[in-house]
Amino acid sequence: MADVTLTIDNKQVTVPAGTLVVDAAKRAGLDVPVFCYHPKLEPAGMCRMCLVEIGRPMLDRATGKPVLDEAGEAKIQFMPKLETACTNPVSEGMVVKTQLTSEKARAGQKGTVEFLLTSHPLDCPVCDKGGECALQDLTMAHGPGQSRFLFDEKQRLAKQLPLGELIWLDRERCIQCARCIRFQDDIAGESVLGFEERGRMMQIVSMSEPGFDSIFSGNTTDICPVGALTTSDFRFGARPWELNAAPSICAQCPVGCNLTFNTRREAKADGQIVIKRVMPRQNEQVNEIWMCDKGRFAYHYVESEKRLTRPLMRRDGKLAKVSWKAALDLAAEKLSEHKKNSVTLVSGRLSNEDLYNLNIFAGKTEAILYTDMGGGDLTSLVGVSDGTNIGDMGKGDAILVIASDLYNEAPIWWLRIKAAAERGATLIVAGGRAAKLDRFATFTIRYAYGDEIKTIEDLGGKSKIAEAFRKAENALIFYGSDGLGLAGSTSLAAACANLLKETNHIGRRNNGLVGVWPRVNDQGAWEMGFRPTADLAEALKGKAVYIVGADPAGDDPALAKALKSAKFVVVQDISMTATAELADVILPAQPHTERAGTFTSGERRVQRFYPVVPAFGESRPDFSITAQLARQMGIILEGSSLPIVFDFIAHSLPAFDGLNYDRLAEVTEQWPMVGRGDMYYGGTTYENKDGLGAHLSSAAQRGETFKLPAAKNVKPLRPKEGELLAVPVTQLYDLGNTVASAELLAQRIGAAAISLHPETAGKLGAADGETVKISWNGSQSEVRVRTDEGLAAGVALVPRSFGIALREPMTLTVKPAKKVK
Amino acid sequence: MSLMEKYPKEVKQILAKYPPEFKRSAVMPLLYLAQRGEGYVTKSAMTEIARALDITETEVASIIGFYTLYHDKKEGRYRMQVCADLPCALRGADKFLAELCGNLGIRVGETTPDGTVTLESVACLAACDKAPMFQIQSPDGIEYHENMTIDRTMELVEALKRSGQEGR
Repeated sequence: MADVTLTIDNKQVTVPAGTLVVDAAKRAGLDVPVFCYHPKLEPAGMCRMCLVEIGRPMLDRATGKPVLDEAGEAKIQFMPKLETACTNPVSEGMVVKTQLTSEKARAGQKGTVEFLLTSHPLDCPVCDKGGECALQDLTMAHGPGQSRFLFDEKQRLAKQLPLGELIWLDRERCIQCARCIRFQDDIAGESVLGFEERGRMMQIVSMSEPGFDSIFSGNTTDICPVGALTTSDFRFGARPWELNAAPSICAQCPVGCNLTFNTRREAKADGQIVIKRVMPRQNEQVNEIWMCDKGRFAYHYVESEKRLTRPLMRRDGKLAKVSWKAALDLAAEKLSEHKKNSVTLVSGRLSNEDLYNLNIFAGKTEAILYTDMGGGDLTSLVGVSDGTNIGDMGKGDAILVIASDLYNEAPIWWLRIKAAAERGATLIVAGGRAAKLDRFATFTIRYAYGDEIKTIEDLGGKSKIAEAFRKAENALIFYGSDGLGLAGSTSLAAACANLLKETNHIGRRNNGLVGVWPRVNDQGAWEMGFRPTADLAEALKGKAVYIVGADPAGDDPALAKALKSAKFVVVQDISMTATAELADVILPAQPHTERAGTFTSGERRVQRFYPVVPAFGESRPDFSITAQLARQMGIILEGSSLPIVFDFIAHSLPAFDGLNYDRLAEVTEQWPMVGRGDMYYGGTTYENKDGLGAHLSSAAQRGETFKLPAAKNVKPLRPKEGELLAVPVTQLYDLGNTVASAELLAQRIGAAAISLHPETAGKLGAADGETVKISWNGSQSEVRVRTDEGLAAGVALVPRSFGIALREPMTLTVKPAKKVK
Repeated sequence: MSLMEKYPKEVKQILAKYPPEFKRSAVMPLLYLAQRGEGYVTKSAMTEIARALDITETEVASIIGFYTLYHDKKEGRYRMQVCADLPCALRGADKFLAELCGNLGIRVGETTPDGTVTLESVACLAACDKAPMFQIQSPDGIEYHENMTIDRTMELVEALKRSGQEGR
């Protein structure tokens, strides 16, 4: 858009046409106070705090030319009344006088603060927001200091009202700016907040079941300009000024949201430094200024009672505490003894540096990635290229999401893809069931589970949808493992990669393939050379096994059985798990909050995280433990300096070429400017000072020649009479090791349940909420039934990490359980 | 009983008035319909309307909350709405309202213990010259009562109580 030049407080400012006066002032370093305006939301003009004087050049009606004064300057006509800087777009020659130069604007803003305070409780001493409160700050800066209003006429409203179990509302503190409502309506797309009553009686309500039913609810507490909305997690937890801030990356999903952990030393924890809350940290290319509630509330696993604090060794059948030396000596001895018969099993919970060391450690012995989703080798070839930003995509671009329920698997991608669709991007959502993203899709494709490959192949053919995808200027494909196991997802990745190549959507920014992985750094594990295996139980049987950051025994009884027959088991993890219970040696590791490192996101962006709290007990970082173990076995690995390990990676892998820790810590200016002294503008989200990270290059981007494998056509599984097709799916809040320990989320996690179409359930004689007996592949289990009209008949959704070990689509029989009377 | 079961014809007629992409606009007449029987919108009616129009219950609730003529709680069978705006007050409406409160033993906004009358103070009903005046709102419609005195009003309340009991 063309630029417009205007004058704000005697300062010439040039900004793109369409910019609002408040933002133009911001870019010029002039702060206009706001409450209801937020740079990520459409302007509302509700609070009247941003009143300024606005003048525009006087135009001659006959000629349309500006009228000039004696000095030959354009005559400026000021409006008789003050205007809101947040609703007025700039225009050529405009003259703005803010509170810095205009007495009138100062008086207007002063009056607004006085009005807002007529019904505010001023309970700052007990308010969680005190210290980072927009109302507090702007009252000090612009308020009158005294009120002319009658104390008796203050509104008395509910002060401790839980909107749900995660977010609390204080109705007296609310200043009716509607930022939270507008966030839920426009950005989250979940209209579960509203106003009732009007005028001074206007109050926030939520009628959803459960209350405030949104997975983005925590963000409203960040943008609330007062202490009306607070999280159950941080409520009465600490004063903001006591908190230290440590930059980090969320480890819950492959999006890689930039975060800040707030910590303090506290008496309750015997003077230890503890995490008090998690806040988003701005990265406009990854999570903007948002994060989901799983990231915000599920971090408690790092302080769980199950954390391993000391090395353990099996003595007389029992695990006993031992020294690091004893544990490492024994592990090294046994792993050397069975060298030719050993397996290294790792997960995407680990950092790039850990995985690099582990891969060298494994050497020629078997190295396995613990996952049921394939295709990471293909995202290395045709993954998204440097500079990719979903936030830049819109009209003319296309995004295809297949076999992934992004809302549950990667919430922030869901949020940003929805926004891209609203900007005009063609969004194609293909899935075996109805998903929340369907509502925003340009095209929705509903296939029968098992027909994923065919669906992609059809998109290479002739149809309106195929045409739209092919002709798109830029195109991304997000593929996942909704209803798929390793074989199916591997095949789907190949089909998607080929489609992207055929339609010339690779090797350029905003083009390529993205894997919606189950873990934060699965992509990194693939880059380092780890691959999953089709028959993990077989691979573990009778071997000496070194398991790092994975819990196969907890996920699948068959894998537990295989481990029991293993020759020797070394488990390296942060917490006690079912797998660790079977170990001969346990090495306590540190979660990402206690150490530094890097993760590679699903978009193949490498980002640094930093230590947040001191290490728990004697735990050590994974890359160090592996290096120490390796040293005992005669392999020299870097075990103390992460930047050096990263340099090794950069020198050995072309995708990492040119990257180093300094480069990853670089920050360029981002818009909007948030998290500085003016928290009333962007909210309490943190400014990014510690690195935006960098994209890995793809083989396509580097211009390498490569051949893509053809998609293997897996014969779709069709259940016989009396059977159901059971498919594994992912739920946001599950019983996985990194979620289950968050007590706050217990209600949202719920119990294990399979989902069926109401008719299917009806035929089986099971109603919503009833318990049934299911049998598959020789296993049996009792679970609750949930009915879901978005499913096809004859399909049973089995959530992962809920105690039902279904790793591939399978046929299943369901019988009503005997009713307990 | 659901709204659709209770008023199938009316619901269909209302929905037919709006094109599918603007069906949320049907929320106003549907709420009016839902309020017809009980004098307020039940939680289940809210849910039903939200589902039918693809909006959330919160959105329906906030519309009920915004408009003073929609109610989300069971209150009196009759709503006695007294105008106490300036012109009416000049003719004694404010004093009338205060005395009425005393006689009924309730405050403005409250309901008589037997559930007959809810007393409300409202803005202009366009009958300033005949103040003190009020309207009675009930499932049967709206009725104006003008040039009222306390005695006549209390007689009316007694009559409403009786008709309420007969209606049961």
